[in-house]
Amino acid sequence: MRIFKRLVDIKNWQRSTKTVAIIIMAILALVVVLSVINVSEQDMLNHASDSVNQIIEKEKTSSRKSLTITYNNLGVVSYISFTTSGASAVKESYVGFAGSIYGADEGTGKFVGQMVNYTYRMLGSGENLLHGVKLTLLLTTLSMLIGALMSVFLALGKISENKLISKISSAYIFFFRGTPLLIQMFVIYFSVPGIFGFSWRSLFAAADPEAVYKGAFIAALIAFSLNSAAYCAEIVRAAIQSIDKGQNEASKALGMSYGQMMRTVIIPQSIRRMIPPLCNEFVMMIKDVSLVFAISLMDITTISKTIMTSEGNYLVFIPALLIYLVITAIFTFIFGKIEKRLSIYE
Amino acid sequence: MSDYQYILSTEHLYKSFGSLEVLKDINLSVKKGEVICIIGPSGAGKSTYLRSLNQLEKITSGKIFIKDELFLHREHNRTIHRVEPEAQKAMLLEMGMVFQRFNLFPHKTVLENVMLAQVLVRKKSKEAAEKLAKEIIERVGLSDKLDVYPSKLSGGQQQRVAIARALAMEPEIMLFDEPTSALDPELVGEVLSVMKGACETGVSPCSASPTRWALRARLPTA
Repeated sequence: MRIFKRLVDIKNWQRSTKTVAIIIMAILALVVVLSVINVSEQDMLNHASDSVNQIIEKEKTSSRKSLTITYNNLGVVSYISFTTSGASAVKESYVGFAGSIYGADEGTGKFVGQMVNYTYRMLGSGENLLHGVKLTLLLTTLSMLIGALMSVFLALGKISENKLISKISSAYIFFFRGTPLLIQMFVIYFSVPGIFGFSWRSLFAAADPEAVYKGAFIAALIAFSLNSAAYCAEIVRAAIQSIDKGQNEASKALGMSYGQMMRTVIIPQSIRRMIPPLCNEFVMMIKDVSLVFAISLMDITTISKTIMTSEGNYLVFIPALLIYLVITAIFTFIFGKIEKRLSIYE
Repeated sequence: MSDYQYILSTEHLYKSFGSLEVLKDINLSVKKGEVICIIGPSGAGKSTYLRSLNQLEKITSGKIFIKDELFLHREHNRTIHRVEPEAQKAMLLEMGMVFQRFNLFPHKTVLENVMLAQVLVRKKSKEAAEKLAKEIIERVGLSDKLDVYPSKLSGGQQQRVAIARALAMEPEIMLFDEPTSALDPELVGEVLSVMKGACETGVSPCSASPTRWALRARLPTA
């Protein structure tokens, strides 16, 4: 479509975009350099103190392992910790940055080490798609796509002249905007399976260790899609009705049917007006997705809360806030550019 | 098509908006090829009358005949008789309208504006629609603006495109609703000459004789 071609036409990007692009490239270059010169995993392993190395040697032959080695690599900075449980509990951690290794057992080192470890876990690194930031983005994107698609039909239904269709669409929108998203999610996750006698988990193979998460993901996806469809429907409806009535009259005078008019005249013009509020809805949904902590999906929020309860570290929410801020900033920037590009139209 | 006396006529046409009666007992008969001007002060009901003809407004009472066939008969806001939807569509296609505010499709080029309804409604092929569109656009003097968007045209040019768009549907009746009231005096002339040309020469490239008449409503210019 013409709209997409215009978006990708780099030559027409304004100077401000070029400036931002250069800054981003500079930051990326710095990140790459820091990652390349950072210590390797092997170096971090070798840096362990003698007592830890003794334990490692001993455990190579024994069947019972009491030593846990956690290694988190965030590219620019990395973290490693050696922990044993039992009578002689040992804990050593180190932070690797810009080619040097620093102790992370106390003071600033400990703080940095913890932040690296929490950020790593909240990003969902080292786990499958349904963890951390990956889960947040996946759930938001899919829910918005499905919800936006449904909302077009809901909006057309609400303004339809058919009284029945109009009433049903209005009722749907009224219900999903009038009840809390959290309760909607609970109903779909708990009540629906209970009433109909199945469980979300059972939709997946019994042996699958991720089955609980996959089941909860499906339930969450359904809840968020249904919910966003209602909010987006009002956005779409407002955009359609904001088109000058003269367009309707001209189409009628030319003999076009309602369907032809909508398809070729009204909806193409209203898409431009829908984009800003729909993008806003997307950015809002990123935060709404944090509600999945209530159905045990491992979102950023769930992970940070888990860390809070298991390690008692109340500072874990700071990286959580920062991660959300960065995600929101990136998407707000992208959508702002999309808006600017589409306004060249008229 | 059988012979008819009047291409369009209304009998005892009344139109009220709620309690405000705008059109009272309008009787008009128009022969093929006639040009009718409706003039009057603001609010007299000129636009309302035109819009009642092509069903943009629903009349309160009265009869509308197209080519001597009863198109619509209403009394006291209730429909007494109306032709079948198929026939209704065909009869409405005989009427083209040009609006005071042009109402061009801003997201389509000049050529696309003139082609769109031909393809969708007249079910023509793209080639045939494009051919006729280009001919009419040339006749209104805008051949160099085929791929331009309406927002880049002057008011006079936009109205000429609107006329071309309506003429491309080859209607037998053209309704012009205050076509020049939104234009600067300098631009009025070019639009009026295009309208005159449309009336005199007939747009259909196959026929040489005029096949349409025009109904115009505009304020008398000083």
